[in-house]
Parts: sequence; C-alpha cells; structure tokens
Amino acid sequence: MSDAAIELRDVWASRDRRTALCGVSLVVRPGEVVGVVGPSGAGKSTLLRVILGLLAPDRGTVSIDGSVASTEARTLIAPEDRKLGMVFQDLALWPHLTVEGNLAFGLEARGVARAERTRRIDDVLARVSLDDERDRRPDTLSGGERQRVAIARALVLEPAAVLLDEPLASLDVLLKRQIRELLRELFAERRCAVLYVTHDPRELSELAHRIVILDEGAVVQDGTPEEIRSQPRGELVRRLVAAW
Amino acid sequence: MGAGAVVRRREEALVMVAVGVLLAGVIALPLLALLAGAVPFLLDATAVERGALLALLASASGLLLTSAGLAMAVTLTSVALGVPLGIALARLDVPGARAALLLHVAPMFLPPFLVALGWFHLLGRDGLLGSESGSRLLFSRAGHVLVLTLCLTPVVTSLVALAASGIAPVLEDAARIVAGARRIVLRILVPLTLPAATLAGLIVFTLAFSELGVPMFLRVPAYPAAILARLGGIDFAPNEALALSLPLLAFALLLFGVEWSLARRFGAPALALASSRRRLPLGRWRVFVGMVVWVYVICTFLPIVALLLHGLPALPEVTGWLGTSVRNSILAAGSAATLVTVLAATAGWAIGRRRPGSRVLDALAFVGFATPSALLGVALIALWNRPATSAVYGSLTIVVLGYVCRYAAIGMRTVTASVLQTPASTEDAAATAGAGFVRRLRGIIVPEQRRALLGAWLLAFVFSLRDLETPVLFYPPGGEPLTVRIFTLEANAPGAVVAGLATVQVVLTALVVVAGGALLRRSALA
Repeated sequence: MSDAAIELRDVWASRDRRTALCGVSLVVRPGEVVGVVGPSGAGKSTLLRVILGLLAPDRGTVSIDGSVASTEARTLIAPEDRKLGMVFQDLALWPHLTVEGNLAFGLEARGVARAERTRRIDDVLARVSLDDERDRRPDTLSGGERQRVAIARALVLEPAAVLLDEPLASLDVLLKRQIRELLRELFAERRCAVLYVTHDPRELSELAHRIVILDEGAVVQDGTPEEIRSQPRGELVRRLVAAW
Repeated sequence: MGAGAVVRRREEALVMVAVGVLLAGVIALPLLALLAGAVPFLLDATAVERGALLALLASASGLLLTSAGLAMAVTLTSVALGVPLGIALARLDVPGARAALLLHVAPMFLPPFLVALGWFHLLGRDGLLGSESGSRLLFSRAGHVLVLTLCLTPVVTSLVALAASGIAPVLEDAARIVAGARRIVLRILVPLTLPAATLAGLIVFTLAFSELGVPMFLRVPAYPAAILARLGGIDFAPNEALALSLPLLAFALLLFGVEWSLARRFGAPALALASSRRRLPLGRWRVFVGMVVWVYVICTFLPIVALLLHGLPALPEVTGWLGTSVRNSILAAGSAATLVTVLAATAGWAIGRRRPGSRVLDALAFVGFATPSALLGVALIALWNRPATSAVYGSLTIVVLGYVCRYAAIGMRTVTASVLQTPASTEDAAATAGAGFVRRLRGIIVPEQRRALLGAWLLAFVFSLRDLETPVLFYPPGGEPLTVRIFTLEANAPGAVVAGLATVQVVLTALVVVAGGALLRRSALA
C-alpha cells in the first residue's frame, strides 16, 4: 500500500467529449505542498475534479490515502467519503448559511459530535481571525474575509489533503500577500498534503515543495522549484520560468 | 438646447410615466371606480337595505373562509409536492427528467375545469376507472383540492426548477465533497430555491382562490361562484355582487402585503435562463426516485388523456357549437399578450435595473394579479359599463383589459428575471455613445431580451387562453372566449360535444405551446 495522500497513475479523463487529461501520474505525500501550474485549458480544473471524485477518469487509477478511489470509469469511493478539503476558485460559499453554518455543514454530514464541532469551528475561526464574524452571511463579508472562510471551511474538516483551485486569483495585491502568508502558516501547522493549482507560478514561491507543470492535459515537468528554474524542459516551462 | 434634445434627455422618464399611466388605468382605476361606486351606495342605502347587506355578508363570511381554507390547502399541498419535484427534475439524475417536466407542466396551461372534466371521465360513475366511491371523492372538497393541486403544482414545480437550474453548480460541488445527495438537497438546494417556492405558493393561492370553474363543476360551494350567481341568471342582484366583492379587496391587499415583504426579504428569485446540464447523481436511489417522479407525472397527465379519448371522436360534431369562440380566444389573448409584452419590455426592464419609480410599476402589476378575478370583474363592470364607454364594454376590448390586468405581472416578472441576469454594460456603452432611451430600447434592450420577451408573450397568451374566471363575468354578446363557451355549455350540451370542445381547447393550447417552444429554442440558438 502506498503512503501517498493522493496518487494518480496514468489518468485519462475527458470533459464535454474532449480529452482533458492524457496519462497524468502524480503523487502528493502527507505534509507535502505540490503546486500545479499551467495555462488556461491545461486540464488543471479537470485534474481537481478527478481527484475530488466529481468526475470519473476514463482510464487510470486515483488513490486517496492509500485506497483506490476511482479507476477505469468507476467511482469506488464517493466524493463525500474521500476526506478531502477544497478551496474553490470562486469560493462556493453557500449564500444562505452563516460563516458558522458554512463550516458546520461538512462536520454535521460527517457525524462529528456537537461539542467537537464547536471546538473545531472555534479553533479554525480564531486561526483565520474570523471569530467575531461567525453569524454573518457571505454576502456581508469583504473579499478577504470570504477567502478566509473558504480556507477555514476546507481545514475544519481536518482532511487528509487540501486542494486549492486558484485561491488568490480574485484578490488585490495586498490581500494576495496576506492570504499567501496565512496559507504558508496553516500548511506548516497542519502538515496535511496540499495540491495548489494556479496559472501563476509566483504564487508558489516559498509555499510549494514540488511543482508540476501541466500543458494540454499532460505533465510536462515535475520537480522542486529549484529544478524547474534551473532545468526548464520545453518552451512553455521556459516561458513560465522567465515570468517567475 | 432644442426641444428635440430635451425630449431625448427625458425619453426614459416619459416612457415610464406613460407605462405607469397605462398600468394605473388598467388596474388601479377599476378598483377605484368600484370603491367610488360602493361608498355612495352604502351611504344612500336605507337602514333595511343596509341590514340586509350586512346579513348577506355575515352569511357569506363562512363561505369566504371555506374558499380561503381550500385555496390554502391547495397551496400547501402544491408546494409540498412541487418543491421536491422541481428540484428532482432540474438537478437530480432522474431518468427522462426533461420529458417528465414537459408532461407534468401541461395541465398548468389548461383551464382547471377541463382537467376536472378529465378526472370526471376517469373517476366519475361511468369513467374509465369509475366507481361510486371514486365519484363521491371527486365531487367533494377533497376532490376539489386534489384536482386543483394537480393543476397548480406545475406552477411550483416550474418556478422551483428554474430557480434550481440557476444555482451555480460549484455550490453543489462544494457540498458533494462533504455530504450525500439527501443532505445536499435538504440543506443546500431546497433553501436556495425558497424565494421561488414562496413566490410560487403565492401565485397558487391567488389562482386557487379565484378559481370558479372547478368548484362549480364539482358542486363545491365557492365564494367567487356566489358573486357570479348575482351577476347573471335568476339570482341577478348586482348590488349584492358589489357588496360581496368588497371583502375580496382585503384579500388582494393582504396578498400584496405578503409579496411586498417577501420581496424585501428575499429579493427577486433568480430564475435560470437555461437549464443546467449538471445533475446530482442519486446512486442506488435513482430507480426508486425515478419511479416516484414518473408515477406522479403520469397521474397529472392522465386526465388530459381521458379528455382526449372522449373528445377526439366527437371533434367532427363540434364545429357548429364553436361559434366565434376560437377566434375570440385567439384575438383577445393575442392582443392582451402583445400589450403585456410592451409593458414587460419597458416596466419589466425598469424593475430589473431598479430605475426610479419602478417599484410602483411592479406593485401596480402585482395588485392586478393578486386581485381575485371576481373582484376584478365587478370592478371592470363598475368602470366600463356606462353608455359613454359602451364601445369598450360591448366589445372584446373589455376582455383584453381584464387579461392585461391579471397577467401583466407574469410578463413583467419574466423580463425582470432575465434583465437581472444580463449585465448592464452594453446598455451603458450605448448610453455613453449618445443613444437615448428609445434607441437603446429598440437597438439593445429588445434584441438582448428577445427570448424573455417571447417567453413573456407566450406566458401571457397561454394564461389568457386558459382563463375562465376573468371573462365569464363580463364577456360581451358574441364575444365569449372558448373557455366561457365550454363552461356555459357544460350543463346543457351533450357530454361528447363538451369533451370535443375541450379537446379543441387542448389542441389549440398544445399548438401554441409547441410553436412557442420551437421559437424560444430558435431564439436561443440565434
């Protein structure tokens, strides 16, 4: 049995009848932060959907925490049983629930006892400095506060791995720096596996242990940030490094 | 600055004032005329007459409460059935969900008393599934609630389905990674469709409370029937009809108040312009949920099948019985729908863009919709039944006015829902380029909203086509629409002829809906 939190072996997947992933293999170990970088249409979102179980791969195997979760167009572990946390690009906060309601939803679904629920929500809200905002609805929060709620919602589940889809894309420069610093601290504290998807490699500076470059559904290069910088493989990676 | 330039700068205000005057003239003026007529009538009445009217109102109060209670029962059951059904058909991977939704909404486009007739052909003593107990059930208050629930649940289903389709799929994805389908439906999808469900409940109550054909067919005493009885036939007593209609004003105002507070709380429900292709997998529950949905959908469609089975063989016989009713229906419904679309293009847009005074236009339109048709009928009679306005009262124009009054809100809300989902940037760009309001309306708003406008026209047309309650109180001689024709012949003509006429109504409606649907699809592709 593998010790990887997330493992993909030769995964092929299609969306809207077009091949979006072509034989992707990838491993994320506990405590490891892996960045996935690629241009629009590279297959980044499809990769996340396959890992989350929202899309079954056409071929290949996805394993979560050592267990095969989906293989050859079959979903063996339902999305809700994969114990993953996710920060969506547009946050996907449920507008009719308060901050606390957004955090409690997943804990209730997983049958976490009330006292434990309260403890975890208190802890994580304090950690993201939102303890005074628990009764507010998402539409009354600022952009930065909403971002922190989305991060808190993913972490409160104490997941084996956290997936982030362009988490800084809609923020201004100052907020970007603030949230990136928060993420760096949280990743270090929690020591869970992290898969961080972005089109901007600069976001991964000081965050990622490894970077995977994805283009047209295939892995172009997989290495440490230093390896990618020093030995870029192919034109796309060279251009990304130049923009770093 | 020249006069032309001044007019151009004030174009929007001028258009909105004209729309406001039109809405006030069609909706508020008849109600004011009713009150203006009622006050002197009550003041000038002798003590004996006043005592008699009070006794009449007291004796009718029980009937009023019963009618309101039945309408509430229809509303609650329709919402209880329509919300899960709407979500299931819009967001769950139910087998054949699209076809099921189309079949399910069909009864909504027919006059409910024809659906009652269909149930009679099924459950009546001589019906296809007829029995003594089935007949007793049908001709009872429970039968009344059952028939109207099956007719009006599609209002809830379709609005909830539209709202559910408008929920961003990512909100569902975020829930799917932590919870199962049941919890997602109950905690995410149902609450997010609540504004649409509440609005639908209000519409169902309004339609059920105004309903005349079903209670009269099923011999269930109803308040609107008591008013109709005093406006024609052997019980002719217009003053009593006037007195009986006054308590309905309180109902109209109550409904308006409820809608106003709901709009403040929820805002306009977000209704999707296109259905979401993403459907929540039900896993092992798929077959069971699919079976439940399809059994219910077939139940709603069954009376139409029974009606057609009885009516189709009789079609050759009905030509002589139709008179000009089909022409009247098409002409009145078409004219009303066109007027409603004009109001929707202007007022509906203004409400969506929150222009100054637009809430007043919305309120006026909703008052027209919420006013029970019996009250509306008496009010239109009070305003237009005068020698000076006989050209209006004695022609189809009065029917058109009645339809516009009742259905302006439906057309306007359709366009408002679409405008709310359309960015204003193209309109702003046109304004920046110097285009006045009329030019923007013609060149930007109407083309951008063409699908919603077509939908508004279609809904107004179909709802007018199915309306019995509004025209039955004041249709002009020789100007009765098909619904009124069938209703008045129901008691006296041979059953086969009535079934044949009902089939004509079904076929006419189906042709309009199918043609309209095809046009809507084409406009979506264009």
